[in-house]
Amino acid sequence: MWHITKREVYDNLNSLRFALTTVLLLALMVTNAVKHLREHPERVQRYRDAVTESLNHLTDRANDSLYTLAQYGPGNFYKKPSPLHFCANGGESLLSDAVEVDEPPVFMTDAEGNRLLEGIWSLSYPDANLHNKDVGPNVSQVDWAFIIGSILSLIALWFTFDAFSGEREQGTLRLMLANSIPRHTVLIGKFLGALLSISIPFALAVLVNLLLISTADTVHLTTEAWGRLGIIFALALLYTSLFVALGLLVSARVQQSAVSLMILLLMWVTLVVFMPSTLASIASSFSPAMSFDEFWKQRNPIKEDLWDKYKEGLGSSELDDRKLRAKSEFYTENAEREERWQEERLRYRSSQVHRARAITGISPATLLQHLIEAFAGTGFERHLQFVENTQRYARQLREFVADTDRADPESLHILGVREGMSRKLVNPAAVPRFEDTLNLSRDFNTAAMELLLLTLFVLVLLSGAYLAFVRVEV
Amino acid sequence: MLKTLIGRELLDNLMTFRFAAVLLITLLLVVANTVVLIQDYEQRLESYNDAVKMHDTQLRKAKTYSMMYLFVDRAPNPLSIFNVGLDKRLGNLMGIWHGFVPTLWDAQMHGTDNPFIAFFSSIDIVFVFEVILSLMGLIFAYDAIAGERERGTLHLVLAQPIGRGQILLAKYISAMACLLVPLVLSLLFALLLLTRSIPLSTADFLRIAGIVFTSFAYLSLFYLIGLLISVATRRTGTALMLAMFVWGFLILVYPNLIRATVNPGGNIQAGMKTAQNQIQQILNEHEQECQKFLENEIIAAETSEFSKAFGLYNDTYLDPVTLTSYIENVNFISAIPSKFEKDVPLAKRYYDFVERLTIRTIEKTWRIRKQALENIFVRQATMDRILLRLSPVGIYDAATQAWAGTDLSGLRIFFEAARQYRRVIIDYFYAKDAFASREWFVADKGAVDWSTLPQFTFERRDVGTNAKRALPDLFLLLIGNLVLFMGIVLIFIKSEV
Repeated sequence: MWHITKREVYDNLNSLRFALTTVLLLALMVTNAVKHLREHPERVQRYRDAVTESLNHLTDRANDSLYTLAQYGPGNFYKKPSPLHFCANGGESLLSDAVEVDEPPVFMTDAEGNRLLEGIWSLSYPDANLHNKDVGPNVSQVDWAFIIGSILSLIALWFTFDAFSGEREQGTLRLMLANSIPRHTVLIGKFLGALLSISIPFALAVLVNLLLISTADTVHLTTEAWGRLGIIFALALLYTSLFVALGLLVSARVQQSAVSLMILLLMWVTLVVFMPSTLASIASSFSPAMSFDEFWKQRNPIKEDLWDKYKEGLGSSELDDRKLRAKSEFYTENAEREERWQEERLRYRSSQVHRARAITGISPATLLQHLIEAFAGTGFERHLQFVENTQRYARQLREFVADTDRADPESLHILGVREGMSRKLVNPAAVPRFEDTLNLSRDFNTAAMELLLLTLFVLVLLSGAYLAFVRVEV
Repeated sequence: MLKTLIGRELLDNLMTFRFAAVLLITLLLVVANTVVLIQDYEQRLESYNDAVKMHDTQLRKAKTYSMMYLFVDRAPNPLSIFNVGLDKRLGNLMGIWHGFVPTLWDAQMHGTDNPFIAFFSSIDIVFVFEVILSLMGLIFAYDAIAGERERGTLHLVLAQPIGRGQILLAKYISAMACLLVPLVLSLLFALLLLTRSIPLSTADFLRIAGIVFTSFAYLSLFYLIGLLISVATRRTGTALMLAMFVWGFLILVYPNLIRATVNPGGNIQAGMKTAQNQIQQILNEHEQECQKFLENEIIAAETSEFSKAFGLYNDTYLDPVTLTSYIENVNFISAIPSKFEKDVPLAKRYYDFVERLTIRTIEKTWRIRKQALENIFVRQATMDRILLRLSPVGIYDAATQAWAGTDLSGLRIFFEAARQYRRVIIDYFYAKDAFASREWFVADKGAVDWSTLPQFTFERRDVGTNAKRALPDLFLLLIGNLVLFMGIVLIFIKSEV
């Protein structure tokens, strides 16, 4: 078997396609690295500036009073740019990079503009500022996901289309099978040979890419990032072996290598280019998106009955304990409802995306895209994770405010109202800070399904290739 | 003799597996995508109609001139089914008032789309053709000469008293005739589906004809590339492999690579900063002059009381990224306290002064902004497009976009119309003397009658304009065809059998 593998690799190493592949992959990977080095520091700087600003807001408010902290909350939250952005862009421009903390609403003012009734902060999920500034031609990003998903798969077909049909044409298949080697050994030998010959230029290009990226002092890769890169490389090999298996299958079934390549090309075009977008368009037309006006209309009924509920308590003219409590409850519930309404929309939209993703999962190219996104820490799942992080932090901060208030015996413990809250100074260092973290095991969990599906595809195709080759007549 | 050759080649091509496969796959892809695209278009049209209706009612709600909520909406282009271009990407909703000059960078979306869904790149018919037609051309061409050479039939053909050029011509004509079948058939299906649900005008059909002709030139170009490879190589295996590499490079790699490598000029940030400062300065001067007017006309102590009674509100805005700048003087008072009734003439004078000044100011900022936007956004995009034209895909895309009217200049017409409309509104205000009227800021003595307000109308330009923009690219494709053909003939004549 090793003999066959070795023979295949040597055969390929000397061929024109090997040289072309190496040059092509190197060019793409170098471009990818250069682009990343050019853009990533800017991205990180933008993030840092934004975070510093929002931290300043938090400290200012904490310094002012516990009440200000409870009313205005923290500053906006920003999504930490992934150091592995070069692996998968993940449609970053379509996703907002922030979760905003809305200013407290003002319900009522007197003639002088003094706020009589104002609420407390709540989270909102803004839309990304869609790329309507970009009027350039429409092209995809040169990230690893593209290089592996489109280019490497094409190369895999390029290396395997004549694996059996070519040998049959030359007559060498007969010679090989005349030896006392079982057919499955031949098949595995061919498979490994092709996979290895593709891996060599790919690994070379990846190494050059990572060398460029890691030696630059503007970008820093952590140990975890290297681990993730290892996973992505393994994914690339798995995905490539899928197309190698497909190439072997078709090559074994078809007599002429030219016909085999043509069939493979048409299959590739369908699987990689058309299926993802066409299926997604079909999927998204199942459930129409909610328009912005509809979204706003949903808000009104939520607000109206809230007002009725607390009208009585808020109406009393004296500033007594009961009114303060009514105010506090009103503010809290208003913020809660506001948040729920915002979340509802996010959930509606993400369920739409999940549905579209599930359907496009038939295409291995989309599976790979999602997997790389998951492990590179970009894309949609990552966005949801970021949103969850902010929600968790919001709860944490609210608890902190409540706990600090509870610790003060002089306070009335009525949150959200100046008169009802502790007046002690808050130590800004004690206020919890937001940290946007990524969890590798969670990423594995979200990716597990897709990973299994991709493996299944590979196994099915490999056994298909085996069956086809066993039955082949020379 | 030529006829015999063509007949033979035609039969050879038609009876092959590849012809059936290509036909099937083209039909399948075009029809499936057309159905989806039509659905998408109808959805966009519906949301456009909703938006127009909503904006109309919104406008009628406004009681004073300064509260005017006037929006114009951009209808989706039915030909975006063929090449979507920028039609879906750019905003389709634009506020119109005198203190703001609208550009395509300020446009908003109706917001019907789930932006997350846009992860999955949308495709159009031209994209299907871009990928499939080029592949078809190469698949039909790679063995045209190399195959005959391998089988030894080239000897036989050349032994006949026919010129080599004629052989090539016969091959070209017959292959193109075959390749036209899937192209035309799939387009007919698409048109059948299209005309059932979307009414198309004669001009649209002419534009579609332009797209079809361009597709034809594109297809032929790729066939010739394949033929060139076939003539230049000895073996079909090598020819096929080379053809595939060229295809992958031209279709997949080059367009994406070029956009990633081209670096926008370094001093853009600086230029943007200066433009921003200049605009900010103009806006500041505007505020000062408004202040000065108040100081000159009223006793300083009374200024705050006056502005509260008349709800004076002056907001200037400048966006650092798109340089969007506007001045808003909306007025939220419902009645004027009787104590201040005597000051109404003064308020009228104030608004008359300020609003005219606003128009002048914002037009001054527009002159700076126009230049800056051109430098920042348009120049880069234009450069990308020029470099993209080194690949036939780029030329084909540009030409079909121009035909469909979904390219940058096609869409800019709409935004120009929006700017025109703003002028019309301003003229209407002048004619009604609206700035100096009581209805400008308060509706206690009768609300504004909006029924005479001029309506916004927008017509796409005629086919001639489309043709004028598409023809250079079309010629480029045709020239490419010609050069390639001549090159092939030369190589073939000089080559040994």
